[in-house]
Amino acid sequence: MAVVGSVKTALQVAEVLEAIVSRCVGPEGRQVLCTKPTGEVLLSRDGGRLLEALHLDHPIARIIVACVSSHLKKTGDGAKTFVIFLCHLLRGLRAITEKEKDSLISENIQTFERCWKNCCQWKFICQALLTFQTQILDGIMDQYLSRHFLSIFSSSAKERTLCRSSLELLLEAYFCGRVGRNNHKFISQLMCNFFFKSTISDSRLEVFELVDDCFVELNVSVTGLPVSDSRIIDGLVLHRDFSVYCPADGDMRVAIVRETIQPLFSTSGSEFVLNSEAQFQTSQIWIMERTKSIMKHLRSQNVRLLLSSVKQPDLVIYYARLNGISVVDCLSSEEISLIQRIISLSPFVLPQASLQCEISNPALVKFCKPLILRSKRYVHLGLMSTCTFAPHCIILCGPVQGLIEQHENALHGAFKMLRQLFKDFDLNYVKKSNDQNDTLSPHVKNNDELEKNQYLQAHSNLVVSDAELETYIPCSTPKLLPTDTVQTDETWRCLPPENKKINDDYELLIESNSSSNPITENTRIETYCENLQVTNIAGKESTLPMKYKSLDTHISQSYCSSSVPAGCVLPVGGSFEILLHYYLLNYAKKCQQLQEIMVSKLIASALLGIPKILYKPKKGNHNFPQIYLRALHALQTNQPIISCQAGLESVIGKYHLLTSVLQCLTKILTVDLIINIKRQPQKSCDQDSEDELQH
Amino acid sequence: MMSCLEAKKPSLCHREPLTAEKVRTTLAVLKGVLTSCYGPFGRLKQLHNGVGGSVCTTSQSAVLLRNLSVTHPVLKVLIASVQNHVSCFSDCGLFTAILCCNLIENVQKTNLATATAIKLNKRLLNFCTNYLRSESCGCRIPVDFSSTQILLCLVRSVLTSKPACMLTRKEVDHISTLILRAFLFTIPESTKNPIILGKSIIISLKGPRVTDSTVLPGVLIEIPEIQLMKTLPVRKSSALKVALFSTSLSGDFSDPGEGSVVVSYRVSLENAVLDQLINLGRQLVSDHVDLVLCQKVMHPSLKRFLRTHHIIAIDRVGVTPIEPLSKATGAQPIGSLGPVSPSSYGSVKDWHSAQFGCKHFFHLIPNEAPVCTLLLCNRNDTVADELKLACQTALHVLQLTVKEPWVLLGGGCTETHLAACIRHTTHKEPGNILQGEGCTQAELQLIAEAFCSALESLAGSLEHDGGEILTDMKHGHFWSMQD
Repeated sequence: MAVVGSVKTALQVAEVLEAIVSRCVGPEGRQVLCTKPTGEVLLSRDGGRLLEALHLDHPIARIIVACVSSHLKKTGDGAKTFVIFLCHLLRGLRAITEKEKDSLISENIQTFERCWKNCCQWKFICQALLTFQTQILDGIMDQYLSRHFLSIFSSSAKERTLCRSSLELLLEAYFCGRVGRNNHKFISQLMCNFFFKSTISDSRLEVFELVDDCFVELNVSVTGLPVSDSRIIDGLVLHRDFSVYCPADGDMRVAIVRETIQPLFSTSGSEFVLNSEAQFQTSQIWIMERTKSIMKHLRSQNVRLLLSSVKQPDLVIYYARLNGISVVDCLSSEEISLIQRIISLSPFVLPQASLQCEISNPALVKFCKPLILRSKRYVHLGLMSTCTFAPHCIILCGPVQGLIEQHENALHGAFKMLRQLFKDFDLNYVKKSNDQNDTLSPHVKNNDELEKNQYLQAHSNLVVSDAELETYIPCSTPKLLPTDTVQTDETWRCLPPENKKINDDYELLIESNSSSNPITENTRIETYCENLQVTNIAGKESTLPMKYKSLDTHISQSYCSSSVPAGCVLPVGGSFEILLHYYLLNYAKKCQQLQEIMVSKLIASALLGIPKILYKPKKGNHNFPQIYLRALHALQTNQPIISCQAGLESVIGKYHLLTSVLQCLTKILTVDLIINIKRQPQKSCDQDSEDELQH
Repeated sequence: MMSCLEAKKPSLCHREPLTAEKVRTTLAVLKGVLTSCYGPFGRLKQLHNGVGGSVCTTSQSAVLLRNLSVTHPVLKVLIASVQNHVSCFSDCGLFTAILCCNLIENVQKTNLATATAIKLNKRLLNFCTNYLRSESCGCRIPVDFSSTQILLCLVRSVLTSKPACMLTRKEVDHISTLILRAFLFTIPESTKNPIILGKSIIISLKGPRVTDSTVLPGVLIEIPEIQLMKTLPVRKSSALKVALFSTSLSGDFSDPGEGSVVVSYRVSLENAVLDQLINLGRQLVSDHVDLVLCQKVMHPSLKRFLRTHHIIAIDRVGVTPIEPLSKATGAQPIGSLGPVSPSSYGSVKDWHSAQFGCKHFFHLIPNEAPVCTLLLCNRNDTVADELKLACQTALHVLQLTVKEPWVLLGGGCTETHLAACIRHTTHKEPGNILQGEGCTQAELQLIAEAFCSALESLAGSLEHDGGEILTDMKHGHFWSMQD
């Protein structure tokens, strides 16, 4: 059976999802309770978890959920906003098409023909959306939005220091939408404590990666206690009990094994032939003696703790106890690899012949003791970390497992979010010449005069360095749009730093000169490079809380590159959406191409959907129209926008969200027919079958 | 493992589940069931599955909630959290469950926004816990460990609140003394830090009278009568040397590894292993061991060998008694058939064979280890189970009391007192509770009223026989009057 895929059906599906998800958006959002046929109960406000928990029949719904999941896997935030935003985009599209339908299409055209016609239209819209996302969005982010960015780093000294209060604001806002109203403050404090306790130095990215990868191993859940009993403890908690526990003080070393210490009669692929009873007895005695001597050897190396990924036999346990070595066995491979990552210790390999060899790595253990949480026993391990992560564990308490899981997922998502936030993000976009007289930014006008001076300077410098440039001519063919920054770096090292400003006039001037001077052709290419380099530096420099980024990155008809520096945030409560909305509308005003105007307007109006929902329960001065008007007024008069809510959110997260939604939308729009098939699509010709389905 | 396949159904979504009429009625039914069980005069519930099999009579939340099957997710969450509470603290399951139901009902009636209700309820809860922890609290008493009076009271109130144990007043006194004795046995003599409490094992016996229950120091191991007759050697006066084996002594071939083992013709592995076992036996004899305990099976030849040398051999002890046995004797479980290190042996003061009811036991009396056995006798099965659970609860409550040495007044007094206290504070100094949460005083009054009446109706549900309930709203006291 085939169903015509259209915006209308997609919208219907998305609206159903929106209805579920929008109940838990924002600080006033409520919890959703899901049940499974197995009787499990899931308590959640996490959009991603909710959507994944649903059994969805409609293929478009499944596409949407798959897009949300892959977005979440990367960023850990924004599932609910994703659905709402998508829904508003679809609504906007339907409004456009309905208008056109009334005017254009006469009624006697066959349905399928109309469908095909629609399809062509969708294809154009898709392309417009994609061009917008790849070429225009970054530019708007960089040129207009970036001046509103705040940073979570305090800018007092030369180096970046993380400000605890701003991190708290960020996390509080994050957990506000994720966990129950009575717990979000506590959970965000918990996360903050964990963060500051477990990071030793400034290299936080490494820690985030480790925590994100091994999150399951780093927390312990305890049911039956109030949430407020949750805490951070120093050291690692292994989800196993000791097989042997021998209390020990002072310096201890640890050994990790991945096989049984007791030698076996035969290894796989070999055969052990028993010829006499005496032989059997001697081999058994040998096994015993061997085990005994290995354990003694371990003890003589001051190994007091043996961590094993397999179950150790009774014999090993017995000799371990005699030698005062504690044993924890049956550890999961994830736990073993986490420990290895923290103390960078390779597993102990049983020596084949003699036991004279030293254990190579002297990994020390501060303490190891049993930890009893609600009558369940765990191993509590204090490790001397060799990496930047100071081992700490989160003990999460709650009355029911469902609630603990919710907190666990929220914490995990928060780490993902921070992992994105602490990275620089590169923006690439096409800058067009008709933006020359940018009335939006007051800076450009002020800079005009400067630019003239600097143009002269730049030009004179070019002449000086002509000789040097020549040497690079073979490398830079015009095809390669230069991204080779190393090269440019060397070329322009001789230039004075004022050379940062190169404006549009300069470009034109070179063009006119090109006939007379054969070298300038190449210089132009080099200029791109120069600019790439300069803007990169500019991006990284800007860590001031309120950043007014210089608009020196304009070159007509060329590719620009910049970056959103790590730690950029905006106040919560739809500031990102309102700002982008405003600048998109402005962009649309200046734009000449019909498609771009349409797409910008579409996205701009869809963006407002999110703050509309956020301010829905508010009354009086804090309802949406009031907030919106105030923000617009502030933007027009160049005043800072006053946010009525404390709390911050990551810019880069929002940016990723926007691009993910646009990609999801194009995915939906490119489908014209939905065909039910009996079997799973064949894996081997995955690509082809998808194409067949789509066209 | 059985697996269940269910056809994928599209998901169903309901909004505002608590306001649905059906949920309200089921919640009311659940509340009714739980309230009627509450307290010393609570009614008993009989649980059966409708197709025969055992019938269980109970009034304890742990048993009741485990066996109730609820379908509504809201009730599932409620019941799961009560069960988790019980598994943490053993006692007060019914209290928690009824208070939960009362609160849900009362807050629903106020018609306030859920956000405000949650916020204010949390405030009130914080107020309660702070008040109960503070010095000025009028309904708590410090526990005096130098006398048994309060501790006995505590144990007695745990026992009497479980009416399905069917104990007379005399029996309650007897059992509470036993429980307290068992608890005191587990406290070690030495006072080195940290103090680790010993073990008390509860064995429940069907048949004898409740007053025949007793506490014995050491460990009881149940063995068949015939084995007991065989194992009687001459008794020694001095301490007995004990060997405790955790490995099997049956002569089975341990793990041969992943490859294959080829045994030549006429080579008997059984004989080879048996030789080893007898060698082990010889070592035990030469080390003057008097008692061999084995977790798993012991080879009959080895047993016979040991017996001829006047060593008592007991096998198939099982894995659970190994830890208390190791604690009581000081022996380390031996995991090897090779030479035994002398440090792994332990010792006991004496042993007896004892008979309780129709069962025979081997009784090990330790030197001074904090291990004891509580033998609970009762006439029938279901009451015996109920009593065992009640005793476990009481022991756990005593352990928790060591951590926090305070007790609260029972009989509904604490609840009424708290309610009076909250009312007073919300009227006189509402700012203390509100603390800039952005809620109005009127909202606080509404929620405080809901909270207090939930507490008071909880106290009121202690009365089941149509007696009159008197509550002193001013000083917060509670009486139940019967004609």
